Amino acid sequence: MYTEHTIETSAERQNRHKAMEAISVLNALKEDFKSPIHSMGYFYDLFEKVYCRHEPLHEGKAKIGTMCIQIPSEIIYALDAVPIRLCNGFYTDDEIGSDLLPQKSCPLVKATVGWFASDNFSDKPDITFSPTTCDQKTKAGAIIESFGHTVIDVGFPRTKESEESRRYWRESVKSFAVKLSKYQGKKLTRSNLERSIKKVGYAQSLYHKLTEFRKNKAVPILGVDMFLVTNAFFFDRIDEWTGAVEKLILELEKRAEDEVHVAGKASPRIVYTGSPPIFPNYKIPIIIEESDAIIVADETCSSNRMFNDMAAVDEWNLYDMIDSVSDKYLKACTCPIFTQNDDRIRRIIQLVRSYKGDGVIYQAFAGCQVYEMEQRSVLAAMEREGIPILYIESDYSPSQHGQLTTRVEAFIESLKNRKRMKK
Amino acid sequence: MKNKFSLRRRVNNMNLVRFRFWFQIAAFAFIVYGGYIGLDFGNKLPTFACVYNAEGTGGKCYVGMLQHDLKHPIDMFMGYAGYAFLISLAMFAVWFWVLNKGWCGFVCPLGTMQDWLSALRRKTKIRYSEYSWANRGKIKSIKYILLLLLLLLPVMIANSVLGIPKLPNGLSMPFCDICPGRMLIPAFTGNFNQFYIDFSSKTDTVMTTLGMMIVGLFLVGSFVKKRFFCYFCPMAALQYVFSKPALLKLYKDGSKCTRCGDCYRACDMDILEIADDVTSKNLVTEDCTLCLKCVAACPEEGCLEANFAGLTVFESTKEGFILRMAMDQNKETHVH
Repeated sequence: MYTEHTIETSAERQNRHKAMEAISVLNALKEDFKSPIHSMGYFYDLFEKVYCRHEPLHEGKAKIGTMCIQIPSEIIYALDAVPIRLCNGFYTDDEIGSDLLPQKSCPLVKATVGWFASDNFSDKPDITFSPTTCDQKTKAGAIIESFGHTVIDVGFPRTKESEESRRYWRESVKSFAVKLSKYQGKKLTRSNLERSIKKVGYAQSLYHKLTEFRKNKAVPILGVDMFLVTNAFFFDRIDEWTGAVEKLILELEKRAEDEVHVAGKASPRIVYTGSPPIFPNYKIPIIIEESDAIIVADETCSSNRMFNDMAAVDEWNLYDMIDSVSDKYLKACTCPIFTQNDDRIRRIIQLVRSYKGDGVIYQAFAGCQVYEMEQRSVLAAMEREGIPILYIESDYSPSQHGQLTTRVEAFIESLKNRKRMKK
Repeated sequence: MKNKFSLRRRVNNMNLVRFRFWFQIAAFAFIVYGGYIGLDFGNKLPTFACVYNAEGTGGKCYVGMLQHDLKHPIDMFMGYAGYAFLISLAMFAVWFWVLNKGWCGFVCPLGTMQDWLSALRRKTKIRYSEYSWANRGKIKSIKYILLLLLLLLPVMIANSVLGIPKLPNGLSMPFCDICPGRMLIPAFTGNFNQFYIDFSSKTDTVMTTLGMMIVGLFLVGSFVKKRFFCYFCPMAALQYVFSKPALLKLYKDGSKCTRCGDCYRACDMDILEIADDVTSKNLVTEDCTLCLKCVAACPEEGCLEANFAGLTVFESTKEGFILRMAMDQNKETHVH
């Protein structure tokens, strides 16, 4: 029999490696846990479609790349474009980026840069807006631009308490809106912005409904599944996403009635914080949930921080809507790039209290300096509050699996002991 | 389990803007037109029920009364006039303790007029203006200066203080002379007689001219700046002295606060503490009007609440926030 032999191109190889990474995580999510949720199927299929089969989702639409959560998606939707958040969790892309960035850089930034360096997208952003958040993201923008891609910086202040920073950010957002509106050849109006604020707000309200179930004693949904759902919001079509989450909520309502619990009776409840787990880098969340614990809440920018705060408009006129959207992304943000971050600490404590968490797991990417630096203050605060916390550093490489598992398991065991002692 | 139809939930989900709009209209009607149906809440009201609206008013403003009470020679004041003064003050305090600063946010006719002017501005899509934080801090003291003046001037008419000769009688109601309520409230009953400049004496000329200017400022100011006049209101200063023991309170649970600033954005008085203070429990600050817009704008479960004598009346909830922002449903049909 005759078979045609072709040599795999580097893009094909990259796609194959990414597909392998993606499918192994998806399979773990689908098969390693008890009581799978039927309506999670939409999300498994979506990730398979995008990351295994590399099929585009937004053909014919203007795709606006965003480097961080701070670029208001409300304005992008209002101008009839699609936001694509470029935070990347693939080890394959991380390795490509490693050649272009200093050795000790954050794997997320390396992966994003590597993605652009290979120029291999299923939905390639037409233009990218980069808020000047952490040093590495800020500088990455310029590197990506050197590959011939259009990157526009959006100035973001690194203090949020002062009047100046509030004003500065409002001006930044206005100028972003003007640039995008020119790019799109479409005017930002009262009605299109109001509609998109409510549309994004509705998606956020669904997230809040989802998280309510996690307060239950019997938690009907895994933390890793939740990460997948929120992660899909980075790139999915918003109406499809809301439709799928509506179905998921209906199923969870049923499961909550039947008291379906996806973990064990004595499984410790974990609040997850730190560098964002981005598909397929669900390494730590999977280790946690495979070690008989359950993530009931998180404080990360790929999930809670992205959804928690909705725009609060007082006067539904264009001027107030833009300001309220701006404030949402600055004032409510608990990103560690800010000088002081008592807000983040208070949020973590509040999450532990309201979701009845038994302990906190704080994961920082090796090279993610701001999370690494904030570790001490968070640990001290948790100690004051009597909340057990585990700090782990990891990256995208598959190599430290055994060591990480040992540490997580030991922590979870100690939480179980603590629970038993309390009884 | 939360009851879907519980009263508490319905209250927390209410449309505060609409509720307040109608409440203010009702209160305005009682205060400005109540007299025509024989209503009289007395003359110690902690709100601008104007004496110059003689026929219509449903009660009388205590600030007017206060100036009158203080205009006595010292020996008289040490006798019966002093007792009368203390009794009046106590009655004012009792009225005030019921609603605390809620008198400003829900009852005060001048406050209501300003809210109407704001609504008019909103309809014309003109942006509201704000003070810078620095200026915002500076103007806080003006209301206390006005209060001090309105307390001192009547005393100085009846007595020679520190060797200064007695002041002319034209200053007997110094604040009423410059209060925009004197002109605007009677105007609502068709009485425009208060729009005048009195040339009978130098003092009267100055004071009534000031009064006319302040009315103009009031109208223009509150069109561009929400609750413009309230920043300078000596009634607010007087009220604040008695605010601590009041029954209606605005409480905050700082541990639930994310400092997102939604409450600050909603606040007509631009009170920074409401968003940034995460340690105090009682958030009725000197300029607060207890309008409760902050509670309605707060997305955190139970972070802000209106509390009456220890009972939670209205508190912030996620659900309430989402409903008020109309984010509870996808109004658009799916576009593919």
